[in-house]
Amino acid sequence: MPEVNDPRRGRVNSLQVVARATAGLWHGFMMVLWHLGRRPITEQYPEYKRSLPERTRARIILTRDPDGEERCVACFLCSGVCPVSCISMAAGEREDGRRFAPWFRINFARCIYCGLCEEACPTLAIQLTPFYEFCEPDILTMVAEKKDLLVDHGGKNHDYNFYRFAGVAMVGDKGAHVDEAAPVDLKSNLP
Amino acid sequence: MPKLIIDQRSIEVPAGTKVIAAAEKLGIMIPRFCYHPGLGSFGACRMCAVKFLEGPVKGIEMSCMEDARDGMVVSTTDPEAMEFRQYVIEWLMMHHPLDCPVCDEGGHCLLQDETVSGGHGRRRYLGHKRTYHDQYLGVFVQHEMNRCIHCWRCRNFYQGFAGYRDYGAMQIGNRMYFGRYEDGPLESPFAGNIIDLCPTGVLTDKPCRFVGRRWDFERAPSLCLHCSLGCNTTGSARYRQMWRQEGRFNEMVNGYFICDRGRYGFAYESHPERPRRARVAGLEVAWAEAIQTAAEKLSQIAATAGPAAVACLGSARSSLETQATLQRFCRALGWSEPRYFSVPSQERQVKAAIARLEAPLAVSLREIETADFVLVVGADPVNEAPMLALALRQAWLKGGAVAVLDPRPVFLPFEFEHLPLAPGDLEAALEALTAGAGGTDLLAGGSPWPLLPKIAALGRRLTQTQRPVIVCGTGIVRESTPGLAADLVLRLREAGLNAGLFYLLPGANAFGAGLLSPAGEGLTPLMEDLETGAVKALMVVENDPFWDYPDRGRLVRALDKLELLVALDYLPSPTVQRADIVFPTLTLFERNHSSFVNQEGRLQLAPPVHLGGMPMAQISPEKHPPRTFLSHIPGGEPRTPGEILAELAAAMPAPVTLPGDDLWDWLSRKNPVFANIVSLFESPPGARLIPEAVPAGTFSPAAAPAAAERPPDYLELLLVDLIFGTEELASYSKHIQPAEEPPRLRMHPADAAKLRLSSGDRVALRLLGGTLEVDLQVAENMAPGVLVLPRHRQLNWRLAPDYRVMVAYGDIVKVEA
Ligand code: SF4
Ligand code: SF4
Ligand code: SF4
Ligand code: SF4
Ligand code: FES
Repeated sequence: MPEVNDPRRGRVNSLQVVARATAGLWHGFMMVLWHLGRRPITEQYPEYKRSLPERTRARIILTRDPDGEERCVACFLCSGVCPVSCISMAAGEREDGRRFAPWFRINFARCIYCGLCEEACPTLAIQLTPFYEFCEPDILTMVAEKKDLLVDHGGKNHDYNFYRFAGVAMVGDKGAHVDEAAPVDLKSNLP
Repeated sequence: MPKLIIDQRSIEVPAGTKVIAAAEKLGIMIPRFCYHPGLGSFGACRMCAVKFLEGPVKGIEMSCMEDARDGMVVSTTDPEAMEFRQYVIEWLMMHHPLDCPVCDEGGHCLLQDETVSGGHGRRRYLGHKRTYHDQYLGVFVQHEMNRCIHCWRCRNFYQGFAGYRDYGAMQIGNRMYFGRYEDGPLESPFAGNIIDLCPTGVLTDKPCRFVGRRWDFERAPSLCLHCSLGCNTTGSARYRQMWRQEGRFNEMVNGYFICDRGRYGFAYESHPERPRRARVAGLEVAWAEAIQTAAEKLSQIAATAGPAAVACLGSARSSLETQATLQRFCRALGWSEPRYFSVPSQERQVKAAIARLEAPLAVSLREIETADFVLVVGADPVNEAPMLALALRQAWLKGGAVAVLDPRPVFLPFEFEHLPLAPGDLEAALEALTAGAGGTDLLAGGSPWPLLPKIAALGRRLTQTQRPVIVCGTGIVRESTPGLAADLVLRLREAGLNAGLFYLLPGANAFGAGLLSPAGEGLTPLMEDLETGAVKALMVVENDPFWDYPDRGRLVRALDKLELLVALDYLPSPTVQRADIVFPTLTLFERNHSSFVNQEGRLQLAPPVHLGGMPMAQISPEKHPPRTFLSHIPGGEPRTPGEILAELAAAMPAPVTLPGDDLWDWLSRKNPVFANIVSLFESPPGARLIPEAVPAGTFSPAAAPAAAERPPDYLELLLVDLIFGTEELASYSKHIQPAEEPPRLRMHPADAAKLRLSSGDRVALRLLGGTLEVDLQVAENMAPGVLVLPRHRQLNWRLAPDYRVMVAYGDIVKVEA
């Protein structure tokens, strides 16, 4: 249908206007009448909750590795990539030398659930989950601290442990990780 | 000047410039690992390959190894060169442990950058990765050897540039290892530079371990305040706390590097007890109330006892802005001129040195590197001005000679001539040395010095040089020595040598303090004014007499007489603790721009690194930032002394407005050297506040050298600096404290034998103000007749009436365990 201001429309007289309006009204009533006889297809939320695919991007969790340790090593890649800067954290050293995040905060009121953080995470620590029902009237309750984010499972992957592949001595000593040779013996000149 | 073409753009560079450096001038960064402008070329990594299309060299060559020459046509983007570099980076990455997420270098890592620039993305090699065990290298440097790419930079700095031997390369080929023979702290006080130099995460900053990424830090150029050289640094802060300092290039001052005192001394800024709120009588009060109380009390004392009853003490560590504002403040209120030194002899020495520093004579730290003979008088470079030691080493590496005239057991990381003379003999020796071969007559008559032949030999060598420099300390020398040093430089210049002069001063801005200090001897020393009761109220601005005044008992008695003590400071110093009214001030890292003048008169600017406030880690017991929004910065009350003084002036019962004109205009009307100030665009290394011309015929032969002043059976006590533990600001730094050596009294074997003492003995030193117990170390390489005692934080050394005292043999006794 041509736009109101379309010059192609040309001039219309008042009789034509009345005819069109009547036709439009009639069309709308007929549509309602037709749907009255059909079965409804709308799913009623919150009465009905559809189960979402595993990869749906909603509320974020921090997962644990197969040994039950926090996966996050506070590398700042997720906070660096986040387009809306809603992740903040500090890095620290645990007594045993492990790098970890003493605090980790996500402002869900600002998060756009784009999933870039999960994509950037080298340890599979940060993961988006299908859980979306956490809207709150008080904005501060949307600011999640580490204790709100940390779960006791591995999320979408239960096997990966970053420290089995990285060269630092944390899980296993030098030379004990995947694809590593025994450490160089400085006291020997044998090849 | 060779002219060459790089990537179709032509450039002319000084002869001797490497192609990689010429390209950098065009803004083309050729990938590199081993080359560093501060260290030179080594050709170890093969990453800087480019293609030489025309000219004296043809084909793929290392751009860091080829001098730029006429007619060269170079392509950095030639497919052959790019393919070469791609293979190189692939080889270098073959053994890389891929632990970037837990590596502190990640985010500013040259290896990450060059991997991307080389186009390497996927590891094709299927063999096992080489691994190494790591070492403990002390409290400053963290070692993670798996990440090494064998570029040699760390070794080239540590052994080559700095001259220390305990860290280096071991093993061969693919198994090469960079470390020490065994675990242990790195011996060099310049070791921190290998952190900046290492292009990967093998060597990282331990105090800044696991703190953050480069992109998250607030970073700004800054300055080191831990000695008078004024090295340039870059500060990194996060969550309202300073975390790291790196060396920043200044072509006239420090070059690329800094010492570890400068690198790790900054943590006074986040000292847990740092004053953050205004205090009156020990209680925290509202800021306005403290201003009101201070203004009322000060003006009341000035009104009843006269304006001379109020004194102000600035400091040699404050910015020039603070020092000058304090002077303007005192003048506006009609009080007496502020003083900047609590130790009168220090003030006189600084003023004597500054008065003699003239543009043609004064050399910068970097110019020392080109000297062919350096005569160091009364200075212990590594402990008093560490980077001077490295500059001297560069001069030595270029074939220059270094002679040190100093009673202390001086160590320098290269071969030098040490003449361990007692302080009383320094001037005579200096005079003899510079008088040329004939001048040694001066000593031939009376003095039976065993060192005389050495002095004569050095004197002869001196006459054969072209660019000698005299470095004169102001710590242990006589008050006339700085002036004598200047006279002798003039004498050498008259003899046709291009001689230079370099002073060391006590304090980062001692030069500024000296420029502003009242001329001549017009003022009685502050301590006397306090004792006679002439001064009833004292305002101390960023100074702590408890730190450097040699006689603690006298200081306390004098301060007890005060009716009012007002302190403005950022340190939790004893002065702040006993002050009636305290105003917290900002450090140079916070909010304000501040300027400092180093010992050669160079004015340098330090912009703020962060906004200030209480470090996040100190305000939040829950270990995460507070969950409430605030409109102000917590702990952000401290202000600059300038702001506080203006508020005080305005709050006086008869309000005074500080003059509104520009501080710098005011300064240049006061002293013409301030007219030298130009923008940093015109003079990136900073303008120098020293007079241009030497008035003709100023050379005056120095007074006859003083006769030996030490009575027999007495030892002269020297209170000296150590690299760690004696400098005020760094001593408040929790990073420096664990690196401090325990303080020891040092003595010559001859004296020790007379006193029947030996190394390791605990001795009691009876001084006027009390007895001090300290461990003894007998040192061969020092002058007989002196006792060397560090002014160490852990030592209660403030028991002597002056910095220079004589101690009778009987007052040095062994403490039986
Ligand atoms: S999903 Fe996107 S917006 Fe949300 S935290 Fe991750 S990166 Fe940021
Ligand atoms: S990217 Fe992953 S490991 Fe790194 S800080 Fe974020 S959650 Fe932690
Ligand atoms: S430790 Fe660092 S600086 Fe030293 S050779 Fe290895 S990569 Fe180079
Ligand atoms: S030499 Fe002096 S100014 Fe330079 S970094 Fe060391 S302490 Fe700081
Ligand atoms: S930078 Fe030229 S070979 Fe390393």
